[in-house]
Amino acid sequence: MIPFELAEPRTLKAALKLLDADDPSVRVFGGGTALMLMMKAGVFQPTRLVSLRGVEARYAKIKKVKDGSLHIGALTTLSAMGRAAAVKTVAPVIIDTLRTLSNVRVRNVATLGGHLAHADPHMDLPPVLIALDAQVVTAAAAGSRTLAVADLLTGYYETALARNELISEIIVPPQQGRRSAYIKLTTRTADDWPTLGVAVSLTMDGQTVEDARIVVSAATEKPVRLQTAEAALRGEIITDAVLARVGEAAAAEAELVGDARGTAAYKRELLRVYAGRAVRKALAT
Amino acid sequence: MAITLDKASSGAADLTSVGRSIPRVEARAKVTGKAEYVHNLRLPGMLYGKIFRSTVAHARLLGVDVSAAQDMPGVFAVYTGLDMLQLIPEPYYGPAFHDQPILALEKVHYVGEPVALVLAADPHVADAAAQLIVADYDELPAVFDEVEAMTSKAVVHEVLKPAGTFPDLKHLKDKRDTNIALDFHLRRGDTEQAFAEADHVFEHTFHTQQVLHLPLEPFVTVVDPTPNQLVIHTASQSPSFVRIEIARLLGWPENKVRVKVPYLGGGFGAKLYIKLEALTAAAALIAGRPVKIALTMEEQFYTLTKHATTLRIKSGVTKDGRITARECEVWWNGGAYADIGPRITQKSGFTAPGPYDIDHVSIDSYSLYTNLPPAGALRGFGIPQLVWAYESHTDMIAKELNIDPLAIRQINILQEGRPQATGTVMRDAGIAPVLERLAERMNWEKPYDKGSGTIRRGRGIAIGFKASISPTTSMAIVNISADGSCIVYCSTVDMGQGSDTAMAQFAAEALGIPVELVKVVHPDTDVTPYDMATLGSRSTYHMGHAVKNAAEDARDKLLALAAEVGLSAETTPIPDIFRKKYGMQAGNIVGTGSFIPPYTPPQPGTGLTTDATPFWMIGATGAEVEVDTETGEFKVTRLVNLVDVGRPVNPAIVETQISGATMMQLGFTLFERMDFDAGQVTNASLADYKIPGIRDVPPVMENEAVDMVQKTGPFGAKGVGESGTFGVSPAIASAIDDAVGVRLMSLPLTAEAVYRGLRAQAGKPLQD
Repeated sequence: MIPFELAEPRTLKAALKLLDADDPSVRVFGGGTALMLMMKAGVFQPTRLVSLRGVEARYAKIKKVKDGSLHIGALTTLSAMGRAAAVKTVAPVIIDTLRTLSNVRVRNVATLGGHLAHADPHMDLPPVLIALDAQVVTAAAAGSRTLAVADLLTGYYETALARNELISEIIVPPQQGRRSAYIKLTTRTADDWPTLGVAVSLTMDGQTVEDARIVVSAATEKPVRLQTAEAALRGEIITDAVLARVGEAAAAEAELVGDARGTAAYKRELLRVYAGRAVRKALAT
Repeated sequence: MAITLDKASSGAADLTSVGRSIPRVEARAKVTGKAEYVHNLRLPGMLYGKIFRSTVAHARLLGVDVSAAQDMPGVFAVYTGLDMLQLIPEPYYGPAFHDQPILALEKVHYVGEPVALVLAADPHVADAAAQLIVADYDELPAVFDEVEAMTSKAVVHEVLKPAGTFPDLKHLKDKRDTNIALDFHLRRGDTEQAFAEADHVFEHTFHTQQVLHLPLEPFVTVVDPTPNQLVIHTASQSPSFVRIEIARLLGWPENKVRVKVPYLGGGFGAKLYIKLEALTAAAALIAGRPVKIALTMEEQFYTLTKHATTLRIKSGVTKDGRITARECEVWWNGGAYADIGPRITQKSGFTAPGPYDIDHVSIDSYSLYTNLPPAGALRGFGIPQLVWAYESHTDMIAKELNIDPLAIRQINILQEGRPQATGTVMRDAGIAPVLERLAERMNWEKPYDKGSGTIRRGRGIAIGFKASISPTTSMAIVNISADGSCIVYCSTVDMGQGSDTAMAQFAAEALGIPVELVKVVHPDTDVTPYDMATLGSRSTYHMGHAVKNAAEDARDKLLALAAEVGLSAETTPIPDIFRKKYGMQAGNIVGTGSFIPPYTPPQPGTGLTTDATPFWMIGATGAEVEVDTETGEFKVTRLVNLVDVGRPVNPAIVETQISGATMMQLGFTLFERMDFDAGQVTNASLADYKIPGIRDVPPVMENEAVDMVQKTGPFGAKGVGESGTFGVSPAIASAIDDAVGVRLMSLPLTAEAVYRGLRAQAGKPLQD
């Protein structure tokens, strides 16, 4: 390992000043679980690392605000999220997802902000947060902006963040009776990266689906909503026949990538089945 | 505490130490982080070595430019194969062939082969400098497939160089232009005629994939070139071999090389023979400084692996399911260096027809060189590959003939007193008892709920057996101190299997003293006597005998001493005997023991022998699975593992050995596969190569050692470590077939393969 500078600023503002819009060898980290692997593998050699662990404690807080939305500081660890009563109240699907997200050692240090900014398509929470229509608030010297998680993730390990811009907070809007579920599918060991992730969020009007969000991840370049599959569900009473059509639509629409966990052709068959299963799981919540 | 010698035990009822689940002697040190490992060792003035490896699979090595690395500040030195030649005129090593150079010379033979070594006081500097080295290659055609290697124009080694240790390799000396590192043949009866007379003839070809050991402690060696001798601290399963081989390379007497081995964080057959020891020793001698080489987890993918295999098996069967003839052809993908592959080809090869009583047998087993990372022994010594083929084949025959899988095995099982393929008569081999007990635990005779709708259930059984590698030698010393406490000196390596505890139990039993009074010294070749190696489940039997013999020798000497001073050793506390002799707490009694089993080598040509092995290991597994017919996903819902280990020395440790072996084989069955692109491993990390974790343990797993005694074994015991691996893969494959009618013939068994099978079955194969 070539020596590098490690900065431990006390404020988010100071952290922003240490970043460099043009230098990819300057990187910020929260838990560092992904970055350390990249450094050990030699694919990333920093000149400066900026640790966010010492910044203001409020960036690691979770609160439910008056309008019913959930505000999660970007430096909240995944473990802390998994224990938070407010998360359980607003979006129990997050608690369910965290149970099998990586392992307890990673969850104890990995932060939600880092989990999103890393933009690995195999991550479990991005599809869930997209299905929940969550947003991120960013901080930069130029000011703050708010964008949908769906717009934050632009590609394979790519985000809409500038190099000198940080995620400060994640906002999950009030769910108002929405039913949501995530299915993570591994084809090798239980702790492997998922072969396929499917997140679903529904609003029901009695037996009829009023609105549906269906997000596929892991088998794709980035987590994406499947518009035609959502359309196939909207206004329908859920039956096996409807879910078969949803599966067909999802399989036809998604751009899937083959790898050691399965060929693209096989993942398409998995999605055809699991789109419907995720809808059923959401309905059962 | 008054310690007297108890009466020596004569039967099971008398045993006081053997047969008890004594807690592991090292448990506390390990869980408190105080156990000693080579990784923790730092010596004054020590340099760290980082290896520069080949990036091509097969090439002439035209030159290595190390100038940029040498010029990097902080780099002590950079060495190539030419530097090794300066120190050692013939810098090639290996247990079967002297084929492996310390650093590449003239050619590279696989991606990952060590080409140069950088030394620096800071390992990060050494690492960075290694990345500046440039090698110049003239690429050659490469061969990767074991069957193609039989006839390929690409030849991995131009000339074969048998080590001279094994008589059956002598005919390969100086042989040119072949990739066959050993061809083993066995002929018994007349298979051709038996096939002609059989009611049915079945023939199938199976495959296994290349996988690796991945001990959680990667390879590590520290060498200290002291003025009087070379001290090698190494995570090795074979300290005696390391001493002899390093002494041979250097042309030194054995006693100028001292090999010390503390605890190992797993070995599984990877840390045998020479791994980092020759390179580290040579570097330390040239540098004149202590040198440490510690591989990363990722580098383990370029060291030693388990043979990928192609297995063709053909059987002649009567209409009622009696197997009359069997022909086996096995091609072992040995990778670029033979390591112990040729021994696997023969010593395991002769069990290829399975634990069945077959009159006409023919075996051809080939050890092949290819341009892949070398393959060697991995928990089972080739047996899991063979069982995979013959047990899958057995179930395919049973299905065709509409015979129950248990029944076809019962019809053909090799009974006690009957000759195995080699002609060696089976003794103390609990094949039938293991099978019967497995059937009982699986409730095989009861109707089985096969499920309905999209979830289908199935079950399968498989049984395998293994010979102990023979003949091999173990020596031990037992030292009784004047206070009656005892130290055992032996070179068996405790790599997690609990041998320290077992050896203490053997010594305590033979001496008739409490096991708490026995301490086992770790291998140190200046102190502990010769042992062939800790491999192939041989230590309990071989070292167990040596320790027992040494303890009995010490006991006899103590009895003689007591008689000499006019005391009864069986009523006088041990310290009083010493005190009476020496006038104070002083003196020792040293007992020595050695063991080498009887053995008859196979006849050239026929491969037949009347005494192939000192004992047989038996392992069987029953599996139940649930298959999702919509996706091909399946869950192993129950695994039942039955073994014959003779009398379990320590039942609690035996159970963890069975479950550990089973889980390891479960990984090789379901998840693990080294992927290659032009010889380059493409998944060389634990993020991409997945080994089973705690959440992959089947919800129900039962492990049992059947009630057996190995009459020739020390206190009735025999080897334990591998038997749990034998039946896992074929039992699961057969359970899948039972559930959904999809028969998989290649490992690993993946959900996608099952799904593709289901689609093919429905006449709608999955298009890519």
